[in-house]
Amino acid sequence: MLEALAYGAVFALVSGTVLPLLYRSKNARQASFGLSLISSVLLLGFAGTVLYTGKEPSFPAFGFLPGLDFTLAADRLTAGFVLLIAAVLPGVSIYSLEYTEHAKSEARKALQAALTSLFVLAMLLVVLAGNMVGFLIFWEIMSLSSLLLVLHDYSSEENKKAGFFYFVMTNISTTFLFLGFISLYRLTGSAEFGPLEYPAGALTLPFLCLFIGFGVKAGLVPFHKWLPYAHPAAPSNISALMSGVMLKVAIYGFLRFLLAAASPELWWGVLILIAGSLSALFGVIYALKESDIKRLLAYSSIENIGIIFIGIGLYVIFRVEGLETLALMSLAGACFHAFNHALFKSLLFLCAGSVVHATGTRNIEAFGGLVKTMPATSALFLIGSVSIAALPPANGFAGELLLYQAFFQASALSANPLLTVFMVIALSSFALTGALAAALFVKLFGITCLALPRSEESRLAEEVEKPMLFGPAVPAVLCILTGIFSKQILSLAGWDIEFPDLLLLGLLLAFIYAALFLAVRAKTEIPDRISETWGCGFPALTPSTEYSSAGFSEPLVMIFKSIYRTRIVHRPEYFDGQESLFKNGHVEIRLLRFFEEYLYIPPALAIDSLSKRVAKLQNGKLDSYVLYAFLAVLTLIIATGVLV
Amino acid sequence: MNTSFLLFALLNPAFALLAAPLYMALIRKVKAYAQGRKGPKLFQVYYDLRKLMHKEAVYSPTSSWVMRLTPCLNLTALLACSLFVPLIFVPEPAGGFGNVIVFLYLLALERFFTALSGLDAGSAFGGMGSSRSMSLAAVIEPTMVVAFAALAFVLKSLNLHEMFALTAGSLLPASPTLVLVSISLFIILIVETGRLPVDNPATHLELTMINEAMILEQTGKNLALLELAHAIKQLLLMGVLINTILPIGLSAEADAGKIAVSALLFLLKAGVLAVVIGLFESALAKMRLFRLPAFYMMAFFFSALTILIEVFA
Repeated sequence: MLEALAYGAVFALVSGTVLPLLYRSKNARQASFGLSLISSVLLLGFAGTVLYTGKEPSFPAFGFLPGLDFTLAADRLTAGFVLLIAAVLPGVSIYSLEYTEHAKSEARKALQAALTSLFVLAMLLVVLAGNMVGFLIFWEIMSLSSLLLVLHDYSSEENKKAGFFYFVMTNISTTFLFLGFISLYRLTGSAEFGPLEYPAGALTLPFLCLFIGFGVKAGLVPFHKWLPYAHPAAPSNISALMSGVMLKVAIYGFLRFLLAAASPELWWGVLILIAGSLSALFGVIYALKESDIKRLLAYSSIENIGIIFIGIGLYVIFRVEGLETLALMSLAGACFHAFNHALFKSLLFLCAGSVVHATGTRNIEAFGGLVKTMPATSALFLIGSVSIAALPPANGFAGELLLYQAFFQASALSANPLLTVFMVIALSSFALTGALAAALFVKLFGITCLALPRSEESRLAEEVEKPMLFGPAVPAVLCILTGIFSKQILSLAGWDIEFPDLLLLGLLLAFIYAALFLAVRAKTEIPDRISETWGCGFPALTPSTEYSSAGFSEPLVMIFKSIYRTRIVHRPEYFDGQESLFKNGHVEIRLLRFFEEYLYIPPALAIDSLSKRVAKLQNGKLDSYVLYAFLAVLTLIIATGVLV
Repeated sequence: MNTSFLLFALLNPAFALLAAPLYMALIRKVKAYAQGRKGPKLFQVYYDLRKLMHKEAVYSPTSSWVMRLTPCLNLTALLACSLFVPLIFVPEPAGGFGNVIVFLYLLALERFFTALSGLDAGSAFGGMGSSRSMSLAAVIEPTMVVAFAALAFVLKSLNLHEMFALTAGSLLPASPTLVLVSISLFIILIVETGRLPVDNPATHLELTMINEAMILEQTGKNLALLELAHAIKQLLLMGVLINTILPIGLSAEADAGKIAVSALLFLLKAGVLAVVIGLFESALAKMRLFRLPAFYMMAFFFSALTILIEVFA
């Protein structure tokens, strides 16, 4: 029965991929998204059963290559991430019904619909893969299908660059995963994800390779730069899937390894915690300065991935120190935050897609007043902002609460004082991240939706069509429900953790609000009036007197000015060699792209110059090619003679 | 839910609601005396609130439902908060009320919506207020969290009720390190309630305003609700500080006589604290905005020091 649910979902997604390619009609595309919706229902049943009963389904193995079988498998960790896919998919599918129809040509619409299903299918199968072979194959399909979707609007120069960047980064990720899995295979002699019972030190190489491999894909600082490029280029429904689900697939892979490792080491946890804290902090700090709505959300994804890694790091540290309860709490926090982030980030990306569609720009400075022109989208956007700013009782708060509780009880680590001090530093950076995220989303929602429209496009924006409202409404409702019922959900999932009942808090807040509202209304004697208020002495309130996005974040930019370094570039050209007759020039003042300029470009240039030297070998003369072949054979013979 | 908590849930918010405006007035009075003026009556804030409640609300044509939602929501959040800080007696904990982190994030909820409503009317003042408020809140947040973590560390609990049940009744703080945390808590109280040297509650000058700028557009009954929420926030943070440094008389039993003594003593202790705050405000000048992080670092230092002492002792 369980197996049938999984097969059904896979079958629905396969048909969803094929259908729009065979029939280029709107109906076929609608059917494709309908099939995604059906598969998400099936997956919900599948994952819910596995998670609740703990019953593991058994799938037959397919002989794939001699000695290499391909199997599906599902345990509770798998089920958790399948549930995540099933939770994000309905909103995105409903949204895409309408959104995909805005693509430029019939062929692109068909491709987008087909690739979306393929992308989801690949992500599902990565999570369900029972061994490393299947994992890597579907990992590549996932990367390539998402690459094609990022390149969806391939005619623009900016998107081509984004696609190339993404392609390189995703290949680096895959390379490290291959290295990691091969070193694991050499150790265990099997491609299965079995328990790894090895003494300390044996797993160092696989750990480092997998940490980098999954870290690149998840967008961990300093491997994060592909996110702010790929997200603005991709269609918004795909951004929702990439940020909501694909990053979590990387988290899943990393967790699968960590949970299998029988004896993790303390430095693993410290490394993960440091990387997580830095990602969280840098992500939100860069997001504050950003004025492209989708790039801002991409940076915010980096922040949230950082928070998830903080949870994982805490889990490893507490596990090594033998504090099982706290380890469980941190792991639950990491997983729950991954799930929550999938919901609210897909919600925010879908809303951003609607806003961009309605105004035709991604620049926050051009928005404003959307709460009047697009009331429903704005309300959904507010729910997303409240959730991601971790305000009670929405779900973003529930996940962070678990992590805070784990941090606050770090006093249990008293056997290791230095570690406790380290935890205090990590805690304060975590708190700073949380508060900066709140500031970020006050800015995003406030500048986008409130006050006067800052541009003509924004003033004339119209509310989007029904599917593009019902789509984000699904994750919005789920955000509130998973927040309020967080305690119940955690206990249903079998995690018995000390946790305040947010249902009670939610009911209490609703009750007090209703009581206050009614009391105030009953006391009101004079009706409300709408009238001009103080406009700071300006004759009329115009958009140019309003606070802008850059103005809003200015105090924080001042406070963190050592992080936002500006770079001034002069490139003058002269008529003469003495540099006295000025001909032309280029001057720019911009934010220092630290990671790109110091971390990405130097190795890229080195590889470039190396390949130029290698390219000299290719001189087009037949006799030198014969010589190469001869030398190669000679080396081979000598090498085998020496080695064997 | 036990009876002790139910009684607490009825009495504590009511007490907070009734007592909070008194200390707003008392601080003003102290400041007035320090400046050689007579100052307003002690019950002036109550009269002001009543007057405002009878007035109409005026909304700017650019504002939206966010501005209409905020006043009630803020008072709701603060009334919920008042279930977290025991002022008149410490109940047996129930339903997760008293969790430190939930308390801090309910305060964040209030700040978030105040900042949004500041942006709502589109005036430059409101935007400036919310920008500054969110920025400074971001910088003080690590200090707040670490201060409360230190409190949780010393008193071995995540729950404010359990923490203060431990200190209740004793004359002096439960541990000498709590004196250090109290310095942090005092600075947090000053920052969170927008007092000098961080923010000046008494001016309407664009250079100095933070909190006042955000609520500049709010009028009539809405302003009354916001002022009340602000007063409760001040009282609750005062309560945390008082219960930490001077827990004498705080009852841990739901007994009518003891509650009355406890409430009276609290009124007295809060009065002393309000005088201290008033004098502190009078003695200091407003700091430059970008000097404030250094001021916050002082609070951070004392909290972190507490944890270090506890760890290495």
